[in-house]
Amino acid sequence: MLKILKGGSMKIKEITVVGANGALGVGVSGIFASFGDVKVNMISRSLEKSKIAIEKAGNSVKALKVCDNMKPYTYDNLEECLKNSDYIIETIVEDYSEKERIHKLINKYMKEDAISSSVTSGISINGLASCYNEEHKKSFLGIHFFNPPYSLPLCEVIPSKFTNKDITKFIKSYLTKTLNRKVIVVKDEPAFLANRIGFMFINQAMQYAENYKDNGGIDYIDTILGKFTGRNMAPMETADFVGLDVHKAIVDNVYEHTNDYAHEKFKLPNYVLDLIEDGRYGTKSGEGLYRNSDEVYDIKTEEYRKKKNYKIDFIDKVIEDFKIGEYEKGLETILLDNSTESEICLRFLVDYIVYSLLISKELAENITDCDIAMAEGFNWIPPIALLEFIGKEKFKELTLKYGYDKLMSSINIQNLKSDYQYEKFLKAKR
Amino acid sequence: MEKVYVLGGAQTDFERNWFKEGKNVIALLKEVINSALKNTNLSYEKIKKLNKENKIAVCIGNFAAEYYIDQGHLGPLLTEVNEVFYGVPSARYEAACASGSVAIDSAMSKIRLGDYDIVLVVGFELMKTVNAKISGDYLGRAAIYEKEAKGIEFPFPKLFGKLADEYVKKYNLDEERFKKNLAKISCINYANAKRNPNAQTRKWFMNEKQANFRGNPTNEKIGSMLGISDCSQVTDGAAVVVLASEKYAKENNLENKPIIKGYGHRVAPYEFNKKMIESQNNKYILPWTREAVCDAYKRANLSLEDIDVFETHDCFTSSEYMAISAFGITEPGKEYEAIENGTIDFTGSKPINPSGGLIGCGHPVGASGVRMMLDLYKQVANEAGDYQIKNVKNALMLNIGGSATTNYVFIVGK
Repeated sequence: MLKILKGGSMKIKEITVVGANGALGVGVSGIFASFGDVKVNMISRSLEKSKIAIEKAGNSVKALKVCDNMKPYTYDNLEECLKNSDYIIETIVEDYSEKERIHKLINKYMKEDAISSSVTSGISINGLASCYNEEHKKSFLGIHFFNPPYSLPLCEVIPSKFTNKDITKFIKSYLTKTLNRKVIVVKDEPAFLANRIGFMFINQAMQYAENYKDNGGIDYIDTILGKFTGRNMAPMETADFVGLDVHKAIVDNVYEHTNDYAHEKFKLPNYVLDLIEDGRYGTKSGEGLYRNSDEVYDIKTEEYRKKKNYKIDFIDKVIEDFKIGEYEKGLETILLDNSTESEICLRFLVDYIVYSLLISKELAENITDCDIAMAEGFNWIPPIALLEFIGKEKFKELTLKYGYDKLMSSINIQNLKSDYQYEKFLKAKR
Repeated sequence: MEKVYVLGGAQTDFERNWFKEGKNVIALLKEVINSALKNTNLSYEKIKKLNKENKIAVCIGNFAAEYYIDQGHLGPLLTEVNEVFYGVPSARYEAACASGSVAIDSAMSKIRLGDYDIVLVVGFELMKTVNAKISGDYLGRAAIYEKEAKGIEFPFPKLFGKLADEYVKKYNLDEERFKKNLAKISCINYANAKRNPNAQTRKWFMNEKQANFRGNPTNEKIGSMLGISDCSQVTDGAAVVVLASEKYAKENNLENKPIIKGYGHRVAPYEFNKKMIESQNNKYILPWTREAVCDAYKRANLSLEDIDVFETHDCFTSSEYMAISAFGITEPGKEYEAIENGTIDFTGSKPINPSGGLIGCGHPVGASGVRMMLDLYKQVANEAGDYQIKNVKNALMLNIGGSATTNYVFIVGK
């Protein structure tokens, strides 16, 4: 039984990261070895891979000295590594049966008083919990890190229905205080909170790109939802960066397993499916929605062409306003403009706020957690900060206009207050 | 003499890169001025009224806008922020990294003379427009450029590296122990910055092992024994403090606000080598820095015992090391005691830089002095949030320009 459950204090001194050579394995190992200053056993398929992962992990936190805390191992060493580990973190590929196999082994070898986690962006934690015996089930939970963890401090903690509440509390506090993370506890539902919101937005952008393929499609919609709308990267550029295959896995998972008003927003457009089938995954395969830095996939012609510099007056005006810190004037420009483009832009912003609030109310401990999710995991303008920027009265008007008034009747927006300021998210850039 | 009240102010988030956001100096100033006015209950209407009576002025601290953003003649910038500043007397003050302090000094004088009731002190610097090497060269103009900086890569880390070398020589210190002491200074500042929501480094990692691991790609040596972990890093930012006359404080029921109790301002020989020659037989390595501290104590009629918290100019760990004895916390040459026994820790008896200092907060050169004054205000007014030190009655700041050439000290208290 866990010390913490017996009323004792628990201290994490040694951990094992299983699947340590992947991007997240490296990032997570770096975070524990640095901020945690704990011994990290790194398990990959070969010693060579683990050794490379150690150096990458040191560099990921810009502190090579922490490499002293990391030791390279292979799966042959799993038993001896787990024997001494207070915490075990699995970061292998997002494949249920592979994860199941590993967690059964972890259950077999882990110490009585250890905690175990799967790092995942969508695999059912309740499902994986069945790999554990009755005692170990209490100390198993999911953690969703964002890549790269050093610059995206969000951690979603996902307890299963068996996880002991004190364990969840302990991990939340450890991640926050020791590892300098921004932590939210969310329900075990498809894609959890941040990705559920973020990929709704991205997928809806993909759908609009198809609907507006005559106007230009992908780069047209990305221009309308560009940096000035509160992000570092336009939504479909983000999808290319994440990988279209990863995008598909996330939206398919939500589409299959949920059935709320936003269900259809998660339906992957056919042209994206075609690109994936052609092996055009995005940045990692050299082409996807975009190719190189100057070409875009034209949905209509099914060919790549040069990106266009769309003449959209309201965007130029907004950027001029933001450049000199006239945020409210910029907002007014969007609100008063009557073009198709400003209509799309506004619609997306309202959809984003509405969906964030509704889904956060359902999945998170506090409705305001959607702000932490989007600011710390995506670097997007937090929904409630955006709501405050638009103004609550104006927002109510818009929800009425778009037919969200009934859905929103369950949420008292008057009481909502963001801990974030919106200014830094609104870039004066296309 | 007239009392000078500190009503509070605001700073920008020093993590932000305004160039990346696509925003210019007007946006920077607009945001910080709006927050400062909100925090001090000063409306634009009120400013208009004060201006009509010719009772409001603006002092702007900035070092090198001509280089970084191609902008000179900075005094009138606030007229671009809001029309209420049309006609308000405003000028730019410059003393390298102490530009903020020289602006505060001037603002204080204007109030003491009785000419003005409110002076807004604005410090700012936008530095992320150029890369680190070019920035290092621009900053070299805070030393004697031709002799100490021209054609030299990163001249300032080298000058403060020299200070570290001179320390070891002058006081016959154990170099290994000294380097560990400097690493600890760095770590205290990084750790303190984690509690400061406006600090540049609040997401960054640093611990003593890494800070002692100088001379590798993640902590390159940059000036003699100093590594990157010993340096504060440049950033973009602005800070504002609002100073007020006794008359204004009385009329607005603000007499419980902190006041500036004393100050010191001394200028040392410009060239670093001349500083060392001059101080050869002095027990202090930088006697004019010490003198500025003593002047402030004397003018405030206070001594070390009365000071509950310090904000110092840790542009490099060696400058904070020097400040410990300049404040009088230890004898010169014995600074290691205060570092090793926890005196200067967040929970120590003489905490230094609860904000994170320049190393933790970041160093937007022209803003730093004003940021320190704002932090003194927050500590004394009990508004520092997670980095509040308990029961602060008096707080002291040291802001230096160049290689401790311009030395400014202020004491704020209730």
